[in-house]
Order: sequence, then structure tokens, then C-alpha cells
Amino acid sequence: MSDSRIDGYARGLFEIARAEGTIDEVEDELFRFGRAFESNDALRNALTDELIPADRRQGIVESLLGGKATTTTTQLVSMVVGAGRGRDLPAIVAKLVDRASASKSLESAEVRSAVPLTGDQQDRLKAALTNATGKQLNLKVVVDPSILGGIVATVGDTVIDGSVRTRVDQLKSRL
Amino acid sequence: MIALLNTLILAAEGEPHRDDNGQVVTHSWILPEAAELIYGTISSIIIFALLYKFAGPAIKKGFNDRTARIQQELDATSQAQADATAEAATIMQAKGDIDAERQRMLDAADAQGEMLLAEGRVRLDQEIAELEARAASEVESGASRAGDELRAEITRTAAMATERILAGGIDPDAQQALIEGFISKVGAS
Repeated sequence: MSDSRIDGYARGLFEIARAEGTIDEVEDELFRFGRAFESNDALRNALTDELIPADRRQGIVESLLGGKATTTTTQLVSMVVGAGRGRDLPAIVAKLVDRASASKSLESAEVRSAVPLTGDQQDRLKAALTNATGKQLNLKVVVDPSILGGIVATVGDTVIDGSVRTRVDQLKSRL
Repeated sequence: MIALLNTLILAAEGEPHRDDNGQVVTHSWILPEAAELIYGTISSIIIFALLYKFAGPAIKKGFNDRTARIQQELDATSQAQADATAEAATIMQAKGDIDAERQRMLDAADAQGEMLLAEGRVRLDQEIAELEARAASEVESGASRAGDELRAEITRTAAMATERILAGGIDPDAQQALIEGFISKVGAS
């Protein structure tokens, strides 16, 4: 999909969520769903397969998110998948998060951790990243066991990698 | 002339006498009668004189002609011998040239053979050197490849072991220590 179309979808979703007054929840839920979509091959294949009827794909979305996310989030994801744009969902979500952060004069910061962070840790991490980058941040935390341990923080084009996975890879390279 | 001679001869002959048996008998069994000797001598002189006068020039001419012919033949023979000698010399020279040419060709063939042999040896030496170098290179490459494969295998094994150990569990305290360490490090930067 072209960038303008992705941007259009993101803008549309953002405006709907903001109109509903659930932009923070929707942004967070879409972010998490986007990460799950990226990391789960079976889910990605099911939601992007053109041979599966649209209502069936939407049924999958609703069965996954129903009761676990806000209605707005469920309907927005269902709409994107039903329109056959499931493949672009991560890009649309990324644009939406950026737009939401910009609306609050914040910079999106994605943090991957092997284990869940406590609220206190998130606050301190946010403060540390703000201090390091000089930007006010909209922190999105993703639990990603594949990094084994530590944290990977991405702010714009800056990546601060403190993961065990990277250290293992560096060890491999040195070996 | 002949009739005259016959008449003189017949005139010189004495009357032979017969013995009791009626056989003709001379005075000697080997010597002619005197008259026969005189007339015979005169007749012989006349005959030889006539021969000298009339047959001598022809005979002399014949001898001269024969001498000239023999001389001519001798000259021709000498000329033929000279020609043969010259021809022989030419042949010998040609033979010498042929021998020289043959020797030259043999020398050239020997030289070419030596050159080919030397070139063959050089080429063979080069091929042997190249084969040795290639074999050494392959051995070295094989050793290097084996070393690389061994290192890669060790790396894979070490990485797998590390991952397995880490996946098996970084204990919660260690996880928290990593997170706190990251926050402290980022905050200090």
C-alpha cells in the first residue's frame, strides 16, 4: 500500500478513536495487537489471506479481541482486515501511534523487554530515555521473550540495545 | 711380272734325279739346291722390293692411321678419364655437400630435439610445481576450511548452549538486574 493510503487509514483510525474519547486505550491496544500480528505467523497469514472471506477474517479478529480490548479497537482492526489491508496493519498502527504522540507533543518510544516492567520501572525508564534523548516520550512497552533478557528501546531512529540477545549475537560474532 | 718370276724359278731348278725306286732325290734334306737358293734369293728381293714400293706406303699409312686412331682413342680415353675424374670430383663434392647437409640436418634435428626436450622438462617442471602449489594450496585451503568449519561449529555449539542456558531461564533477579542496569545506564548517559 502507498504511504499516503497508510497515512489515510492511520488518520481515520486516529480521528475515530479521538472522537470516541478512547485514543489512549485504542492506541495502546492497537500497538499491542500490531506487535502480536508481526510476531505471530499463523495470525498474520490468517488475516492477510485473500482466499479467506472478509467476514471470516473479521470473525477471527472479533474472537481474538472481543472482551479483551475496547469495542473501538476491535471494530477498527476488523474494518482494516475486512478491507483487505491486514498486511499493512503494523504500518497503519505505527502511523497512528506517531500521530497520537504528536497530538500530545510526544515522541513515540518503543521498549521491548523480556519480562513485564513494573509501573515504577516504566516511569524511571521513561525519565531516563527523556533525559537521554531530550524528548518527551510516549512509551510503549512490549514484552518480547525473544530478546532473552534486558531491554531494547527505540526512539525515532535511535535504538538503545541492552538485550541479552544482542550480547549473545555479539559473542557469536567475536567467536 | 709373276709369269716372269715363275719362269726364273723354274729355270733355277736343277733337273732332279730319281733313285732306283723312281723317287725324286735332292742333295740335302734341308738345304735347297744352289741354283734354287740364288734364284729364290733374287726372287725374294724382287718381291720384297715390290712389296716395299707398292705395299709399303699403304702399310705405313695403315700403321700411321692405326697409330693415329689409337692415339685418338687414347686421347678420348684420357678425356673420358678426365671427364670421369671431374664427374667423380663433382659427385664427391656433391656427396660431401650431401654429407654436410645430412650432418647439418642431423645437428639441427639434435638441437631441436634437445630444445624440445629442454622445453618439455621445463614445462614438466612447471606443471609439477603448479600441481604441487595447487595441492599445497588445496591442503592449506582444506585445513583452513576445516578450521573455519570447526570454529563455526564451536560457535554454533557455544551459542546454542548459551541460548539454551539463557532460555532455560534467566532467573527473575537477574532479569530485574538487567532492567535496572539498563535504566541506570540510559539515565546516566
